[in-house]
This record gives sequence, structure tokens and C-alpha cells, in this order.
Amino acid sequence: MSAADLGVVVAALLTLAVFSFLYRDNPFYRFAESLLVGVSAGYYVVHYFDAGVVRKFWVPVVQQGQLWLLPGGVLGLLMLARLHPRGQWISRFAIAFYVAAWSGYLIPSVLQERILRQVAGTFLPAAGTTSVGALLAAVLVLLGVAAILVYFYFSAEHRGLLGAASRVGILFLMVGFGASFGYTVMGRLSLLIGRFQFLLQDLPASLRHISH
Amino acid sequence: MARGAWSARLAQGDRRILFLAVAATVAFPLLWPLNLPIRVSREARAFHAEIEGVEPGRVILLSFDYEPDTMAELDPMSLAVLRHAFRRGVRVLVMTTYAGGVGIAERVLAQAAAENGRTYGTDYAFLGYNPDFSATILRMGESLRGAYPTDHYGHPTGELSLLQGVDRYADIPLVVTISSSALSEYWVIWAGGKYHARIVAGNTAIQAVLIYPFLQTGQLAGMLGGLKGAAEYERLIGRDGAGVRGMDAQSLAHFLIVLFILLGNLGFLLQRRAARAREASP
Amino acid sequence: MKRTGPILLGFVVGMLMLVQFFTPNPWIAARYNNVLDWKQVVFGVTLILGVLSLLLHHGRRIRRRVAGWSYSGVTVAGLIVMILAGAVFGKERGPYPWLFAYVQSPMQSTLFALLAFYVASASYRAFRARSLHAGLLLAAGVIVMLGRVPLGEMIGFTVAGRFYSLATLSDLVLTVPNLAAKRGIMIGVGLGMTATAIKIILGIERTYLGKGA
Repeated sequence: MSAADLGVVVAALLTLAVFSFLYRDNPFYRFAESLLVGVSAGYYVVHYFDAGVVRKFWVPVVQQGQLWLLPGGVLGLLMLARLHPRGQWISRFAIAFYVAAWSGYLIPSVLQERILRQVAGTFLPAAGTTSVGALLAAVLVLLGVAAILVYFYFSAEHRGLLGAASRVGILFLMVGFGASFGYTVMGRLSLLIGRFQFLLQDLPASLRHISH
Repeated sequence: MARGAWSARLAQGDRRILFLAVAATVAFPLLWPLNLPIRVSREARAFHAEIEGVEPGRVILLSFDYEPDTMAELDPMSLAVLRHAFRRGVRVLVMTTYAGGVGIAERVLAQAAAENGRTYGTDYAFLGYNPDFSATILRMGESLRGAYPTDHYGHPTGELSLLQGVDRYADIPLVVTISSSALSEYWVIWAGGKYHARIVAGNTAIQAVLIYPFLQTGQLAGMLGGLKGAAEYERLIGRDGAGVRGMDAQSLAHFLIVLFILLGNLGFLLQRRAARAREASP
Repeated sequence: MKRTGPILLGFVVGMLMLVQFFTPNPWIAARYNNVLDWKQVVFGVTLILGVLSLLLHHGRRIRRRVAGWSYSGVTVAGLIVMILAGAVFGKERGPYPWLFAYVQSPMQSTLFALLAFYVASASYRAFRARSLHAGLLLAAGVIVMLGRVPLGEMIGFTVAGRFYSLATLSDLVLTVPNLAAKRGIMIGVGLGMTATAIKIILGIERTYLGKGA
């Protein structure tokens, strides 16, 4: 029996152990769940250590003398101070560094790509099309986006024209959430199909291999 | 049985029957395929056209931005894209922004490369995982070799023949992200926005519905959505795989869910009517 | 110092990362690359910290023999075996990739596959068209669900030589009202993200630093 065939059998047993939760919570499921947490945590920590500490710090700084990478290691050590209750204030420096850096490069990118380009994409198709269908679609999108933004404006009471626009916005939002619901169902069923493909196709192939 | 009790049972349903119905609906077409025809969407054609438009010999970047939890939806997509690229002689630089994506990328890449007789280092390379996806995406815009001094196996990236003359997004005609999360949005925002990379995205169904705005503005040049997207791409490249095989089950299961919704609401309506009738009677 | 120091550091780093977007100055570009490299080390260590916390939590459960402590033993054993497998045999061959492929991957994907059953159960027992809004949501969901599968693509009618199917209706829903909804949310969230990011850099928003900040 090859390691791969053994692996398929082990994988099938663990798959069935997880599926057993559908009947009710039971020791097989809880064992599988606990094993998953432990094995995946171990898997991730090996990669985080290798990629984040060894390749990004140890090798460049200690072996190649790239001392400008030293502050990264210092900040990483400051982060470890979180393990002790009295040292948690020290980790604030590392957290502030990380969160502020993220915020700094987020601002121009989000403004440009999530806001300005999207606003342009709302107006320009309505202005630049000649086909009736496309024009109607573009106008509907424009009205929908405007109505939704009015709905999200909470600094004024939603009465009169504001209230009417807000109610239209809700209708668009409901259709959007419905589409998300439909796709969510699709996504979840696809994952189930994948597991059934494994149990009904890959597993029998391995069992035939083992028996020969 | 009293009408109220009957409608209450219809509204509630029996969980065991519901679960068995789902299992049977999914299993049946996997064992006895129906071979339903598959229509290819506009977004999938656009995705396909982008890879068709890359000159043989050029290097594209493919990022495996997912983990085992969504591999059923995304593995078929990744494999189809790699098969397409390798068949056209396009070279592929592979990376992942998730630690859990390393094992997946190695498996899929090994399969596609072996099928097409591709050589590591010349036709493809695997950069591996770097922590912090945002820093990785941005750093690669300044220098690929700066972001990844070595590949996943420890080879200096400066010595890989694949990366001769390739060090920034400007040197790469196409970035492909196969993603289970908002990563595809971040590729658009940073690689596309700051460094003007051309991007196509393969997503889970849950994520795909969210990125239509990027498709409409052209910030994304093409998109594949869910297992259906994978099936469409497999049809476009003329090689069926797990995507196409799953479509019969997907079709029947969706109709079953719609039936559940209708039956559940029917039971609810009848239950409500019975309750009103009880209130109205003396 | 405990509060002001981090806020000051945040301001300097945040402003550097913001300004670099607008200038090609080589000194600023070099510092920008430095910050990105340092961030990756901090991120890696933070994730290791998360795993260490998990280990400490389960270690406490085992020491105190709380209910279900044996499952914590399974977790800790799995963690140690995986680390040893990677450290001793390497990441590329042997037990480490085997455990990933045949233990972690199948269980991780099956856990998410379970949700399909619960979505089906919820569809029957919980999704009620109690109002116009709920009805609209369900109608859109049903159209998209049916229009995106091969069986639904076959259901339709022909007008003037062109076949209109549930797929056509589904595409319409996705590219018009859904697009508007997602774009509206995207712009709204984008504005919120930008405002929060500015407040973080300026030190107005400090909750991310924890208690006492």
C-alpha cells in the first residue's frame, strides 16, 4: 500500500468523522475537530516561522548582514511582550507601527480604486452609451447607487425626498443581498460536491489499487 | 391530522429528510452523469481571452490565494488556467498569500507541469508564501526579487532563468489571482491601482458576486465565479475536469434548494391561514 | 510614553506610507520598502504569537483537567507532531506534506462542506417571504441560483430568433441591481475605511492599542 493510498483512506475516515456531526455531536467528530485545530496550527506555525522569521529576518540580517532589516526583528520581539500581562504596553509600539503603516497606504489606494473609479464607473456608462438597453441599465445603476448612498447617510432624518430615495435604496440592497444569498448557496453546494467527488470517485480508486 | 398540525409539519420539515435529500441529489449525478450543456459567460470568455492574448514565452503571475476550505471550488479553476497557459507556451510565476495555499499550489502546479512537460526554473517557478499579503503585493511592485530573494525551495530568484528581465508588474503582462476572499479586491487596489497591473480574478461564488463593480469599470479584465466558472473555463480550453463533472450535481441541488424554499413558504402560508381561521372562529 | 510613544510612531510611519504614494523621491521610496519588509516580520511573529496563545490555552485546560481536556490533548499532540515533522523531515517531503494533504486538507474542506446541509435546512425552515423586502431578496436569490446552473440555462423562450433563458435574467440581476448594491456598499465602506485610517494616523482612533490607550 503506497503512502498516497493510505492517505486517501485516512482522509476518507476523517471526512466521515466530520460528516457525522450532521447526525449529532459525537466523540468522533470532536476528535477530528481537535485534531484539525492542532495539525493546522502546527502547519501554519512552521510556515510563519520559516517565511516571517527565517527568510525575512534571520537569513538577511544574520547571514547576509542586511542590517536595515534589524528594526523588523526588534518590532517582532516587542510584539512577543504581549505574552506577559505587564509587558503588554510594549507591544503597542509594534501594533501602532503595523496598523498605521497599513492605514497610510490604504488611504490613497481606497480613495482612488474603491471610491473615485467606482463613481466614474457609475456616471460614465450613462453618459457614453447609445444603445437603449445599455442606457437604461446605466441609468438604473446610477439611480441605485445614489439611492443606496442616501440610505447610508444617517446625519439627516429620512423624510420626504430623502426618505423616498432611501426606500428605493433598500429595494436595490435587497436584490443585492438576494444575489449574494444565491451565490452563497452555490458556493456551499460546490464545496459539498467536492467532498462527494472525493468519497465517490477518489476513494474507490484507491481501494481498488490497494486490493490489487 | 388537523389542518394546523399538518401545515406546521410542512413548515418545519424534518431535518433528517432534508439532509438525506441534499446528499442524494448531489451523489446521484456524480454516479450517473446527466451531461447537461454548459453555457459560457461573458466574464469567463474575457478571462480566457486575456490568457490567449499573452505571447508565448512571456511570464504571467498566478497567485493561489486560497486554502483547503475552498479548494473544491478553486482547484479546478487553477488547474484549468495552468493547463491553458502551459499549452500556449506561456511561462508562469506562482505564489501564494496564504500559508495553507503552499501545499495546494505545489500539488496543482506539479500536476499541470507534468502533463505538459514543463521544467522548473525555465517554464515555471514557485515563490512560495510571504507573510502579510498587502506588504507582499506592494513590495512586488517595487521589486519581485526584493519581495522574494529566494523561491520556495531556497533558490536565489536572481538566478532563475524565468525571472531574467522580470522584476516588476510592468514586466508581467497579466496577474491572475485565484482567491477565496477579498484578496482579489486588494490585488485590484494595489497591484492594479498603484502599479497598473492587468488583472483577472477567479473567485469563490461568495466572493464573485461582490466584484462585479470592478469588472464593469475594467479594473478587472475578466472573472471566473465558483465551480460554474471553473466548468466554463474547462469547456473553453477543451479539457473537462472536476468543474464540468460537478455541474450536474450543482444543477439538481440548486433546484432542490428552490423547492425547499417554496415548500417551506407554502407551509408557512398555510400555517398562517390556519392560525387566522382559528382566531376568527368562536 | 506608554500611550504617546506608539501614537507618535504611528503618525510618522502612517504619514510616510501616505506621502510615498505621491512622490518618486528615492529616499522615501527606500524607507517605504523598509517599512514593508519590517511589516512582514511583525506579521509573521504575530501569527506565531496566535499559535502560542492556542498552545497555552489548551495547556491550561489539560493541567486543570476541565471537561473535555482529552480533546485538548489531541490538539496539542497534533500541533507538536506537525512542528516536529516540519522541523525534522522538512516541509517538502515526508510526514509534513502528507499530514497536510491527507489530514488537514480533507477535514478543513469537509468542515465547510457541512454548511451546504445547513444552508439547505435554513432554506426550508427559516427563509420566509414575510414582507416585500424579504420576498424581493428571495426572488433575486432564486433567479440567480437557477440562472447560474446548466439546467436553468435551458429553461426559457425564443423571441425573434434569440433565446432568453433564466441565465439572461440572472445576468441582468447581477449586472444591474446587484452591481448598484455592491457598488453603493463599496463606496460607503471605502469612505468609512478612509475616515478610520485618517483617524488612526492622527491618533484620534486608539482602540486598536488596547485598554488604557
